Amino acid sequence: MELNRRGFLKIAGLTFLGLAAKPGWEVVSQIKPMESSPPPNYFSGKKWGMVIDLKKCWEAEEGSMESINACHRIHNVPSFQSIKEEIKWIWTIEYEKTFPEHIHDFNEDEYKGRSVIVLCNQCDDPPCTKYCPTRATWKREDGIVMMDFHRCIGCRYCMAGCPYGARSFNWRDPRPFIKKVNLEFPTRTKGVVEKCNFCEERLIQGLLPACVEACKDKALIFGDLNDPHSEIRKAFHGRHVLQRQPKLGTKPKVFYIV
Amino acid sequence: MYDGKKIIPGLIIFLGIVTYPIWHNTVSGKTGYVPKPKIPADKKECVEPKALIRVNHKDLLDDWKMSVVRSGIRTYQASNKKIYTMSLTRTCMNCHQDRKEFCDQCHNYMGVKNDCWDCHMYPKELKAEVK
Amino acid sequence: MVNKEHVLVDREIALLEHVRRSGKGFYITVSILTALVLWGIYAYLTQYQTGLGVTGLSRQIFWGVYITNFVFFIGISHAGTFISAVLRVVKAEWRRPISRLAELTTVFILFFGVGSVLIDLGRPDRMLYAIRYAHFRSPLLWDVCSIATYLTVSSICLYLALIPDIALMRDLGWKKRQWFYEILSLGFTGTEKQWHRLEKAITIMSIIVIPVMITVHTVVSYVFAMTIQPMWHSAIFGPYFVAGALFSGVAAVITIMAIIRKAYHLEDYLKPVHFYNLGTFLLAMTLLWVYFTLGEYVTTFYGNEPVHMEIFWSKLTGKFAPLFWLHVVLCFVIPFPILANPKTRTIKGTVIASISINIGMWLERFVIIVPTLTRQRISVEQALYIPTWVEWSIFLGCLSFFSLLYALFTKFFPIIPIWEMQEGREKAVSKVEERIRSYLPDDNG
Repeated sequence: MELNRRGFLKIAGLTFLGLAAKPGWEVVSQIKPMESSPPPNYFSGKKWGMVIDLKKCWEAEEGSMESINACHRIHNVPSFQSIKEEIKWIWTIEYEKTFPEHIHDFNEDEYKGRSVIVLCNQCDDPPCTKYCPTRATWKREDGIVMMDFHRCIGCRYCMAGCPYGARSFNWRDPRPFIKKVNLEFPTRTKGVVEKCNFCEERLIQGLLPACVEACKDKALIFGDLNDPHSEIRKAFHGRHVLQRQPKLGTKPKVFYIV
Repeated sequence: MYDGKKIIPGLIIFLGIVTYPIWHNTVSGKTGYVPKPKIPADKKECVEPKALIRVNHKDLLDDWKMSVVRSGIRTYQASNKKIYTMSLTRTCMNCHQDRKEFCDQCHNYMGVKNDCWDCHMYPKELKAEVK
Repeated sequence: MVNKEHVLVDREIALLEHVRRSGKGFYITVSILTALVLWGIYAYLTQYQTGLGVTGLSRQIFWGVYITNFVFFIGISHAGTFISAVLRVVKAEWRRPISRLAELTTVFILFFGVGSVLIDLGRPDRMLYAIRYAHFRSPLLWDVCSIATYLTVSSICLYLALIPDIALMRDLGWKKRQWFYEILSLGFTGTEKQWHRLEKAITIMSIIVIPVMITVHTVVSYVFAMTIQPMWHSAIFGPYFVAGALFSGVAAVITIMAIIRKAYHLEDYLKPVHFYNLGTFLLAMTLLWVYFTLGEYVTTFYGNEPVHMEIFWSKLTGKFAPLFWLHVVLCFVIPFPILANPKTRTIKGTVIASISINIGMWLERFVIIVPTLTRQRISVEQALYIPTWVEWSIFLGCLSFFSLLYALFTKFFPIIPIWEMQEGREKAVSKVEERIRSYLPDDNG
């Protein structure tokens, strides 16, 4: 077949026009606006944070199941029998494992083996959002590290990035394992990552996160870190404040006071 | 025609197979089928007028999804100036109750697939589960 | 027909045998490979249906065999570029018979490298979101760009070097396949001008593919090195992985070479000297591998940071010790004495060393990836990872599919480049003589 450069360019041009016809038409005939942007001051310079008062928590000796169950119930978190596939948004681990850098040979006995409630730290400089190839997880202006279950491709790179192990993955369809479905919140499909979202769907209605509300001993304090008069800022006064793994530079927004 | 005795019957059979979708529906009396989505009896209007929402509900829901999940905005001002919450389950399905009686009626007929229901639920589903 | 072939192919007639004829052995091999591929597909379908829960992965150890395969396969792809491009650039004449089989390894195995990641996805139906919603801050996106470029450039390299042989196949006049070769030969007729253009194109592509090859495995290593996990977050990962890739890749090519040599009776072309030379390179690489590994582990040990040491000890004396020490034996203890001694650097010796290295390097990737995940900076209940039949079946399926594609390729094109052998016989000897003469002091009259 004889084809010189000119002939090739002609065919290439026609092909390109043919391929561009449909997408081009779709763009031109588009009269709807693009993704809506929040109105000014929508997030009002907020920076959500949480303080966990370990003293109150340990004095009460209730255990944290009320908070954990509240969270898992309203968010349709499935419960599996095996540890292998478990999904947890909030749970407890021992003091030594929560704050490994605070362990030395002479720790007080009263801290040994005590359980500490842990969740996603909603870091200010999250190490997980960097790695998402589709931006299915990102930090919102009000500081919450969000998850978009529609966009997650399930590569689990964010799980590899999180130094706190705060994220869980749906290893199979979660629906059959949800004890009681809450209609107000969607379930997830198999193959996506999920984690605590600071109850952002409740915050917008002016409610507190479920775990905070459920804690009868008021050991969980939630609020706007940017507001100097908020309850959470006041909680810092006169107490020793810990974060998990501070020297990693993730700037976690979940604080522990002992 | 060379080999005409083989070609013509072959062509007829071929055309018969190729046009099967067209004549089968006529023969089995299905051409008259019109999907009947169950309209909620007590509700007068949808978020948008019928003509608009029939055509645009996919784009509307896509916009709602983007707005709620990625921008955090949950309130929608419709063309009738009313404010609605942008939610498939809590707004749309609040009226339409059961996807099998409403959404699926047309979607199945048209062969349109969606994966909303993998995650989002509707009130009748919950009642069915409780049973 | 035979006369025509003799005229065109001349002394290289043996190289067409495997294209022209398929023995019983070929059909049996293809049948077995196809069965294994189908089994692998079945395993994947169960995973697609149920979710990744059918694997041995867990909330604690969520990357395992599939990601190991990903790094391993991409690593192997480096050999082709090295043997085909680097040796071509440095004008090593002994690369002539092996350049195509090496390049073919590269191109085909890249599909399975990428495939392994796609198999690992929780929502593979959304795989194109990585392109549609690309977030370039993610090392995975750098991977997408780098590997896509590498695949493109390598394919072009393979194709360009294939053109003269395709033209030859076309001119042989095998009725059934004439149209196929005619289209692919792009009208190559072997004129001075065409040869000149082709040589230039091959040279340029060979030079381009080398830096691309280096970025590919560096970027793959960055998937791990860019996180802040203990024993992943290390600057040495870039060169470590590239060296490891060349190492495992050349070992894989040696294995493939030996199989092709036996299966297609190409003993005249794939001579002991080829294995000897590749074996020498492998010797250098095993030492380089030891150098990097020691660097990584000794610096960790000396620093003695608790978070790192927990992983360190789990590898050396703990849960992963058997795998760790096995891989050291396979990557160094077995190959080194075989390759160091010229007397044992025979075909048999290098093949034994290569097989040992291949298994050892797969284990090396596993031992890099999994132990770090057991800690995740918080000690959790005993995290155990035991891959299930699904993961092994898919791994086997990938290897079989690769082998199958490779075998099918050899039925369409000669695996040893006929034109390069002819060029070697006719022109190379005088060219090399000229080159050597140019190194020596000039003769004055």
